[in-house]
Amino acid sequence: MTKTLLLKGIDEPDLHTLEVYERGGGYQALRKALGMSREEVLHELEVSAIRGRGGAGFAMGKKISFLPKGQMDKYLVCNADESEPGTFKDRELLQKNPHMLIEGMLIAAYAGGITRAFIYIRGEYALQADRLEAALEEAKAAGYVGERVLGSDLSLTMWVHRGAGAYICGEETALLDSLEGKRGNPRLKPPFPANQGLYQGPTLINNVETLATAPTIIRMGGAEYAKLGTTGSTGTKLVSISGHVQRPGNYEIELGIPSREIIYGLAGGPPEGRSVKLWFPGGSSAPVLTGDDLDIPYDFDSLAKAGTMLGSGAIIVVDDSTPVVDVALKVAKFYRHESCGKCTPCREGTNWTVKMLERIDSGEATPMDLDIMAAVCTNIIGNCLCVLGDAMAMPIGSMIVKFRPEFEAHIEAARARNELATTEEAPPEALIQGAVA
Amino acid sequence: MPRPEQRMVTFSIDGLEVTAPENAMLVDAAKYGDVEIPVFCYEPKLGAPVGACRMCLVEIEGIPKLQTGCSTPVKDGMVVHTQTDRVKQAQEAIVEFLLINHPLDCPVCDKGGECPLQDISFGWGGGRSRFIEPKRHFQKPLALSPLVAIDRERCILCYRCVRFSQEIAEDYQLVLEERGAHTYVSTFDGHPYVAPFSGNIVELCPVGALTSQPYRFRARPWDIEGSGSVCTLCPAQCNVTFTVRDERVLRVLGRDNVEVDDGWLCDKGRFAYQAVHVDERVTQPLIRDGGELREVSWERALSEAAAALRRANGRVGAIAGGETTNEEGFLLQRLMREGLGSGDLDSRPGGTLALDLHRALGAPDLQATVADLEFAHSVLVLDCEPVDDMPIVDLRIRKGVRRRHVKLAVATSRPSSLDPNASATARFAPGAGEAFVMALSAALGGGDVAGPAQAAGADAAEIRALGRSLQAGDDVVILYGEQLVSGPRGEHAARALLDLARRLELTSGREGAGLLCVPAGTNGRGLTEAGVLPNAGPGLADVEQSGRDTAAIAAAASAGELTALYLMHCDPLVDLPGRDAWAGALERATTVVAHAAFLTDGVREHANVVFPAESYAEKEGTLTHPDGRVQRLRPAIGHPGATRSEWSVIADLARRLDLDLGVLTGAMASAQLFAAVPFYAGLTLEAIGGKGVRWQEREAAATFPAAEPEAADGAEPPSAADANGRLRLGTFRSIWNATEVRVSPALRFLHPKLRLEISPADAQRLELFQGDHVVVGSDGHTVDATVTLRETMPEGSVFLETNALDGPLVEVRRA
Repeated sequence: MTKTLLLKGIDEPDLHTLEVYERGGGYQALRKALGMSREEVLHELEVSAIRGRGGAGFAMGKKISFLPKGQMDKYLVCNADESEPGTFKDRELLQKNPHMLIEGMLIAAYAGGITRAFIYIRGEYALQADRLEAALEEAKAAGYVGERVLGSDLSLTMWVHRGAGAYICGEETALLDSLEGKRGNPRLKPPFPANQGLYQGPTLINNVETLATAPTIIRMGGAEYAKLGTTGSTGTKLVSISGHVQRPGNYEIELGIPSREIIYGLAGGPPEGRSVKLWFPGGSSAPVLTGDDLDIPYDFDSLAKAGTMLGSGAIIVVDDSTPVVDVALKVAKFYRHESCGKCTPCREGTNWTVKMLERIDSGEATPMDLDIMAAVCTNIIGNCLCVLGDAMAMPIGSMIVKFRPEFEAHIEAARARNELATTEEAPPEALIQGAVA
Repeated sequence: MPRPEQRMVTFSIDGLEVTAPENAMLVDAAKYGDVEIPVFCYEPKLGAPVGACRMCLVEIEGIPKLQTGCSTPVKDGMVVHTQTDRVKQAQEAIVEFLLINHPLDCPVCDKGGECPLQDISFGWGGGRSRFIEPKRHFQKPLALSPLVAIDRERCILCYRCVRFSQEIAEDYQLVLEERGAHTYVSTFDGHPYVAPFSGNIVELCPVGALTSQPYRFRARPWDIEGSGSVCTLCPAQCNVTFTVRDERVLRVLGRDNVEVDDGWLCDKGRFAYQAVHVDERVTQPLIRDGGELREVSWERALSEAAAALRRANGRVGAIAGGETTNEEGFLLQRLMREGLGSGDLDSRPGGTLALDLHRALGAPDLQATVADLEFAHSVLVLDCEPVDDMPIVDLRIRKGVRRRHVKLAVATSRPSSLDPNASATARFAPGAGEAFVMALSAALGGGDVAGPAQAAGADAAEIRALGRSLQAGDDVVILYGEQLVSGPRGEHAARALLDLARRLELTSGREGAGLLCVPAGTNGRGLTEAGVLPNAGPGLADVEQSGRDTAAIAAAASAGELTALYLMHCDPLVDLPGRDAWAGALERATTVVAHAAFLTDGVREHANVVFPAESYAEKEGTLTHPDGRVQRLRPAIGHPGATRSEWSVIADLARRLDLDLGVLTGAMASAQLFAAVPFYAGLTLEAIGGKGVRWQEREAAATFPAAEPEAADGAEPPSAADANGRLRLGTFRSIWNATEVRVSPALRFLHPKLRLEISPADAQRLELFQGDHVVVGSDGHTVDATVTLRETMPEGSVFLETNALDGPLVEVRRA
C-alpha cells in the first residue's frame, strides 16, 4: 500500500538545505551515476519503465532516448508549472526537498548528454522558487552544478525561471514559448520537443516528480524499481487528494492499489454520513468516475480502461452534498479562463459550454441543451491544437453521460425557481476594449 | 545555395491517385487532384503553418486522430480522406464554432462577396447554429491606423495579421491581447499600426475584421472589376490588380508574382492610387500665357511646343524621369536624335557612365534576380536602403535571413533598418562608396584595407569582418544603389564594384549570384536599355557623338548653351540632385516642355508647355525591372479629362517636327522598341503577359554587347571630406517622400517634413533636441529642417531628406 521513496523523511527539518540532504545520502545517486557510462544510466532509466508523472504518462527513458545523439546544445526543461486543479504534489517536493529534483535533473542530463537545464516554476510558487534558487546556489557552490561536475565529463548550467501565471504554460510547447519570452501558446506538433524544442534545439521536458524519482531509480537499480507497482505502471506515485475527504494531502502509493484504499484508507473517505458521488482520478482534466468505480486499481492502464486517466495523480472527491452542475460549471469556467485562444474549438467551445451551464443554473435551459452541450464537447475532443480543450470537454462530457438525470432535475428546479422570481438583475454595462461575456 | 529540388510523390485523396511535390502540405498537394481543403489560418507566404483555425482537419489512414492538412507534409503512398463523416463533422463543428461569436453582419461588411468565411461557411458549414447566447462585443470599428480599420467582433483570430507583423515585416507591432475567447488583435500599447507594409494585413484577413479605410463602403464585389498591371511608384515594380468601379481606381491589391514581389505590397503602392483621381492632377494641356499656366487645346499645346523646340535649333536637352515607360523613352530618344538633332538626353539623375561600364554592369552573366536574394549564401546591401528605395526587396531580404539563413552584410552610410538582421555591418562617410568598395575588395584579396578604409571614413575592422561574411565561390548577391555609381567619381566606383564582383567570382555567369542595382527611378534599367542615355542608343548601342548627361544639361542650360528643356515625368527641382543648378537652368531656358501629372515647383514656375501625364493606371507599355524582367503595363481605366497616351503625344509632336515615328498604336511602339533593342528581339506583349519575361533568360540575350572595361587603376580614392567641426551631409529619400503620397488624402499624413537625421552625440554637442527646427547650411545655401535623432547614426554624419542641399559638409544651427 504505501511505500515511501520520494516522501521518505520529507518532514525532516531543513531537508531543503544541502547539509541535511547530504546527511540523508543526498547526491550519492549522482556520484553512482557519474561512475557509470551515460548509456548505462539511460539503460537503468529505461529498465525502470517509469512513466511521466506530469499527466501524459509517457515513458521517461524512451523520451530521453529520442534526443538526437552527438555534440550539440541540448536542453533539459523541468516542468514545475504545477497548475492542474487538485494537484499539489510537486509543491511539496519543491518546498521540502529541492535538492532531490536538482540531483534528478543532473542524472537525466547526464543520461541525455544535455548541457543546459531550466526549471520553469509557476509564479505563484514563490516560497518554493525561493527555496529552489537557494538550493541551486548551494549545489553550484558545492560543485554539483556547473562545469565538469565532480570531475566527470558532465557539465550543466541550470536556471530557475518563474512563470507569470497561466495554466497553459504547463503544456510543454507553450512552456517553451513562454520560456523563450513569447506569449505562452502551444506549438504545432510535430516537430516534437525532442527534435525542435527550446530555441529550436533538442529538448527533454519532464515533470518535477519524474525527475525527482531519478536518484531513487539509480540508487535501487532500474530493475528493482520496476518490481514496484504493476507491469504497465511501475514504481510509486505521489497522489494529491482533495475535496470531500477527511484527511486531504499528499500520499505516496505503490501504483496498482485499489482506488478505495486511497480515498477511504489513506484519506479517510468523505465526512460521516456522506458518500462519494463522483471523483476525478487525475486532476480536473480527467473524466469523472462515480462511487461505483472505487475498486478500480489506481494505475495508468486500469484507469485508461475505465475511460479516464491517471493524469497528474490528483484525486478530487465530491460527495453527495454537492450538485453536479456546480462542479461542471466550476471546471468549465476554469478552462474557459485558461484557454489560450489560439485554436478555434477550445477558444469557442469552452466559452460556449460555460454559457450553457450558466443557463442551466439560472433556469433558462431545456434538456435539449444537454444534447447540444454533449455535442459541443464531442466537437472539441480530438480537434484541438493541444489538450486543453479536451481537458474541459472530457470531464464535462463524462458528467453529462453519468449524471444526466441530475442535470435534468437541476434544469427543471432552476426553471421553476426562475419563474417564481419577480425581479431580474440588470446585466453589467459592457466594458469597452475588453470583451464582455 | 541551390534551390531545393522537388520530387514528386503519389498519394491517394478521396480515392483519387494524385501526384504532388513531396513534402508539400496536404492542403496544397490536394489541389493537384482538384480537391479543396478549406483553410483560414494557413497562408504559405507567412511561413511555417500554425494550425490554429483547425478548419483543414482531414483523415489520414494509419493515424487515429484527424490531422491538420495545413501542417502535414504529403508522403508517398499516403491515403487521405476529406469527405468522410468524421471529417465532415469536424468541419461543420469548426464553422459553427467560428460563427458563434461572429456578428454575421455580411450585408454591411466590406468583405461580403469576397469573404473566405462566407465561402467556407456555405461550402463546408452545417448551415445552422445552435448558439443562442449573447455574442462577444467590442467597440467597433476602431482605427488600427489611419489606413486600417479593425472590427474585433468579426475577427476569427486566425493569427495571420499578427504573424505578418512579427515574421514578415518584422515591425513587431501587432500582438494578441488577453486570452481565450477574450483574445483580440491590437498593438501592444494601442499605438496606431503605422509601418511601411501595414496594408498587407487587410489583404491577408480572411474576414472583414481588417478593412482599408480608404476603400471602406466604396464598393461591393459585384460592382467592381479587377485589372492587372504593374505599380510604377518605385523600382520594385510590384505586380498589382487595380479594383475599378465606374472608371475609378478604388483599391490596389497585390498580384502574386514570386519573382518580383512575393505577393506583398508596400503602403505607398497600396494606397497612393488615390493620386489618380485627385483634383490637383493636370488633365488638360497647359501653356504659359502672361506668366500663368492656362488650359488650352491639344492642338494649341502641340503646335506651341513644336514651334518652340524648332526655334531652339537643336539646342534641346531632355530628361526622362523614372516613371517613363520603355516605349516613351524609346520614342523620346528618337524625337531628340532624329527630330531635333540633339543627343543631350539622360535618364539617370546622377549622370551617365562610360558605355563599357553600362555594358559591364548590365551584362546578363552578372545579373542577380530578386529571388536570388532569398537563396544566396550571402547578400551584401551596398549604399542603398531597400525599405526606402525599393521597399518590397526589404521583405525579401528579411525572408532570406529568417527562413534560409542567408548571411546578410549591410554597408551603407546611413544606418539601415536591416542592420538588426545583418551578421555584419559597416558604415562609411556619405559619398565615400568608392573608397569603401576598394577597401572591401582589399579585405577579400588580402590587400591594404587601412588606407582606403580611412579614405572612406570607415572602420577597417568592420570592413574585414564584413569581408569574412562574403566568401568567394559562394553565391553572393550585391544589392547596390545607383547612387554608388553616380556623380563625378561614379565611373571609378563602378570599376571598383566590378573589381569586387570579380574577386567574389560573380562575373563568370554563376547562377543565383551577381549584382542587382536599385535604380534611382522606377524604370531606370529600361530607360537605359531603350537608349535614353547621352552616350548610348537603344540596346546600349554606340552613338556617333555623345551628348550631355543630366548634370551637363543643367550646366549647359544655365550657361545658355541649351535653350530648350524637355522634361518627361521629371521635375528637376524635386527629383534631381543639384537643385540650385537646376533652378538656374530652368530660369535661363527659353522653353521648358514638361509631361507632368502634378504642378510641382519646377513645372509650376518654369514650364512653358505642360502635357498632362497619364497615371500608371491608364498607361500601356512596358517597363524593365532592375533584374531585367520586362513587364507589361495595361490600362485599367480610361484617360481623365483631355489626357492622352503619351506615346501618341510624342508621335504627334514629332510629326509637327517633320518626323514620322510610324506609331499609330501602343503596340506598334512596343514592337518598334523590341526590334530596336537586339536583346529584346522577338519579345511580344503576349509573351510578356501577366508575369513578365526576363530578357536574360531568352536566346536573344546573347546579343548583349560585350564589354571588357579597364580595371580600376588602383589609384588612391579621394578621402571623404574631413569634417573639421562641421558635419558630413548625406541625402536620402524616404518611402513616403513622393508627390503621389503628398496628394493622396489617405497617405498625406505620412508625407515627411524636411527632416535632418543626426546622431545623439552630435545633437548633444550642438544642443539640439528631437523636433527642433534647425538651419542647415552649405556654401552659403541654407534650408530649414526638423531634427530627428537616430541612435545608430554615426557621429559626424547627418542625413537630410530630399535633394535640397548638396554636400559634402554642412553646418547646423538652431533656427
